[in-house]
Amino acid sequence: MRWTPVPDGDQARWPDATRAAFPGDALDRFAAMHARLAGAGYGGEVPRVFAITARQVAERLGTEPALALGPAASRVAIKARPRIAALYLHTAAAIARKLESPAFARWQERMLDVLRAAPESLLPLLERMEMLTERLPPEALDAWIDTGLRFAGRDAAKRLAFFRLETPEARRLLERHAGEDIFRTLEQALVAGHRALWGRVPPLREALPDATGHTPRRSSFGMGVLCLPSSFPDHRGREALLYRAAMAHVGAHLDYGGAPFEVGQLKPMQIAVVSLIEDARVETLAMRDMPGLRRLWGAFHEIGPDGVATAPSLFARLARALFDPDFPRKHGWVAKGAALFEAQSGRLHDPAISRQIGNLLGNDLGQTRVHFNAKGYMVQPVYRDDNVGLWNFPDDMHEPPEQQHELPIETRDRRRAEAGEGPPNRDPPEKAPGSLSVEEVAPQDGEQLMVLPEYDYAARVERPDWVAVNRYVPGAGDPGFWQRLQERHPEALRRTSALVSQASVGQRRRLKRQAEGETLDLDAAIDAAIDLRGGRLPDHRVYEGTSAPNRSISVHLLLDSSRSTGDTTGSGSVLELERDAAGILALAMDRLGDPLAISAFSSRGREDMRITEVKKFDDRLGMATGMGLTGLRPAWSTRIGAAIRYGGRSLEQMASHRRLVLLLTDGEPSDIDVPDRAYLVADARRAVQMLSAKGIDCFCIALGDTAGGRHAEIFGRGRFVTIEDIATLPERLTALFLRLSN
Amino acid sequence: MTNTLDAWRIGQEPAYHAAGDEITGYAAAYAARLPVMLKGPTGCGKTRFVEHMAWRLGRPLVTVSCHEDMTASDLVGRYLLGPEGTHWQDGPLTLAVRYGGICYLDEVVEARQDTTVIIHALTDNRRVLPLEKKGELVSAHPDFQLVISYNPGYQSVLKDLKESTKQRFCAMDFDYPAPEIETTIVAAQSGLDDGVSRQLVQIGGKSRNLRGHGLDEGASTRMLIHAGRLIREGLPLRQACALALITPLTDDPDIRVALQDAVDACA
Repeated sequence: MRWTPVPDGDQARWPDATRAAFPGDALDRFAAMHARLAGAGYGGEVPRVFAITARQVAERLGTEPALALGPAASRVAIKARPRIAALYLHTAAAIARKLESPAFARWQERMLDVLRAAPESLLPLLERMEMLTERLPPEALDAWIDTGLRFAGRDAAKRLAFFRLETPEARRLLERHAGEDIFRTLEQALVAGHRALWGRVPPLREALPDATGHTPRRSSFGMGVLCLPSSFPDHRGREALLYRAAMAHVGAHLDYGGAPFEVGQLKPMQIAVVSLIEDARVETLAMRDMPGLRRLWGAFHEIGPDGVATAPSLFARLARALFDPDFPRKHGWVAKGAALFEAQSGRLHDPAISRQIGNLLGNDLGQTRVHFNAKGYMVQPVYRDDNVGLWNFPDDMHEPPEQQHELPIETRDRRRAEAGEGPPNRDPPEKAPGSLSVEEVAPQDGEQLMVLPEYDYAARVERPDWVAVNRYVPGAGDPGFWQRLQERHPEALRRTSALVSQASVGQRRRLKRQAEGETLDLDAAIDAAIDLRGGRLPDHRVYEGTSAPNRSISVHLLLDSSRSTGDTTGSGSVLELERDAAGILALAMDRLGDPLAISAFSSRGREDMRITEVKKFDDRLGMATGMGLTGLRPAWSTRIGAAIRYGGRSLEQMASHRRLVLLLTDGEPSDIDVPDRAYLVADARRAVQMLSAKGIDCFCIALGDTAGGRHAEIFGRGRFVTIEDIATLPERLTALFLRLSN
Repeated sequence: MTNTLDAWRIGQEPAYHAAGDEITGYAAAYAARLPVMLKGPTGCGKTRFVEHMAWRLGRPLVTVSCHEDMTASDLVGRYLLGPEGTHWQDGPLTLAVRYGGICYLDEVVEARQDTTVIIHALTDNRRVLPLEKKGELVSAHPDFQLVISYNPGYQSVLKDLKESTKQRFCAMDFDYPAPEIETTIVAAQSGLDDGVSRQLVQIGGKSRNLRGHGLDEGASTRMLIHAGRLIREGLPLRQACALALITPLTDDPDIRVALQDAVDACA
């Protein structure tokens, strides 16, 4: 990267515009930077684009941001490829036109972050930058990139897929950061609304695109599951309304519909017409009960009374005519359908009329030779379902094929995800946790946080600066953790929140000389009596009471993530249960407003005490916490003493009445560099005692039946519990915390 | 001395629409001087029922709303400091015990547990109230009866009646009335016509579907009456429901949307 300074005389070769953009000695610096890029062997493209881009940026935002592009482009060229550096400069020119100075500087910073953490992802990111900046405001773009880096962790292929928008999560997160209403953002309100209206909710599934990219565009129910499209991209601005209308329509089917119709000898067109009549029938009944539904659905009946008499148009017109009695029935077939339906208005509770009317109308339409394309048929209006749930399709009948296959696959995938496994085709479950971890988390990745002492019981000395604590970032995590947690443990969450709302922690104090209270304060009463007798005005505060308890507790939760926590129990691995328990506790403490930090620990000798900070005391509880928890991977050993000291250090900063280190572990202390088990036990005990001297409590929850052996020795009697049935941990942890804190 | 409780007598008949045989049941329990426990969600008419029964039986009614800071002294009384030294002031429970009233402890689980044990001696065959601080044992007036209410919805491990307390009481279950009866009640109490009252009751029913799924309780009859009164004052239904039902019930934006949907669907 040697370069020769451009001689002064060469300034003249720059165009006037460039010389105007870089006044004074800025031009020299620009020329030097240009020469440096030209001489670095990146080819001609990089310096050429730099000259143009830098001038444009300088004109708009000043010389400094423009000159900063040079070193940045150079780094991109070195770490990625010169071609990408040129693209970077191109993109920067476009971005600079949209952003102000500070935001542009942050954007540059951000790109370099990506280059550092995920060099392979810079290209797809830059290629999509125009689209991304159009959809996302700068902060949201930052957040989306952050999420991507966290989401994929160290898996470069996964990162690439994310930034190429190939994974559904990436698109979904993009939509979420863009603030659009999609199924995921609306799900909770939809579920609650449906339950309010109909008293129950079928299991809801988001119908994601399948492998061929086919995206369902209508809702669908059947097999006891309601599938909704993940978004309605053609209906921006009224997605929320559309989802509600769709759910209400299915609700009407479930409430007023009968058993599924038998297909028999019906042709696809007849099936479509019968379904249409059935839709109208259940909607009419639902509107009799809840008249307001007419407004909701009415907004989506948009077809006009005229037009070419194609099958889809006629169907949509009939649907509107059955829905809206005032709709002009200009076509004979539509008029006949509406008349037949109205004639049966007294018998609407009988699903058989749908079949009767549908058969008649289907025959009529068949004779008019209107062409019906069953493959491309889309039910209208858009809120109605695809009718699959109305029919008993025989197994050998592939009509309509897509949905029939789609449903079971989707349900199965979801179930796998719920069971705590990774999504299919990605992130294979860890068959050999040890070997995987070696590649995945190499020791030099950690950032040293602190060095802790350790106690040697044999020598009876405390060795200062003995254990190095390194911070690691969690692996790829699941952004939907909180939603899944709700699905996995609805009961535990409900019970905990009831418990929490009753809980109170803190000291009651006896209050003397109060204006009101339970009993007379004897001293005050005597003083008052003396005053009275002496003819002075007595103090009226003669009572004694107790203060309301004052909540003040902070907790550092330490999760053992050593290799043994990868062992499966009946319901997932130990670590998975730990993280669900941590999630429930975090929600509870968040509601109580108690500060909580969560860290996972494992160790690989005293040089590498590995701490993964899932949540620090001042982090907000949110998606990042969930991703951090799900990103934990079991590996290495258990150095409990160091973990306790680390937890204690962080609690020293907290000004709470009670400070508690809560340790979840599935075994006894052990590490690869310590053959003598008693050594680590003695050290852990010492760590507990040291914290106790500082007023910080330690409590241990030992998991599994092998646990408990030496925990009493470390933590002291009454300072630990053993939970043998690990599956109950999520529920018991919070209850335990509330007991401890009361 | 009975005039001591005259202020607690109920002059006018409190309107009450019986949903079942609760009136004969309560009358029998009073005749036998058995303590009664009323269970049911908030705003379903427990307090109104006790008022109605007190009026019907011609007894004064001393109502105490329990809260978590309430102590035994707040019920039985305490010493106060006067110009001549200290003197004893009876609490509401002691008043009812001494002079023969019905004492109604509303939401009794809210009170601290040490508070509830003082009623033990009153609710078995002893029928006495020991005033520990005063060193007096008050025998209950023959007309005295204790009634407590509690809401099983709030029940939790930390706050529940002790088994020894529960077992002293006869208990009656209360719930929101059937839609037709509730419509009549809402119409009568708010002055609305049957049509709008029916809509309100339907909305109330929808909100109760969310009990345990985002709401601790659905909209009570009392809330529906409040909404009805607002409509009487000229508010449109949507606004009245937002004011009287949705906003008080929950702060969760999703649940609010759901409730709003229910209102929209019913109107």
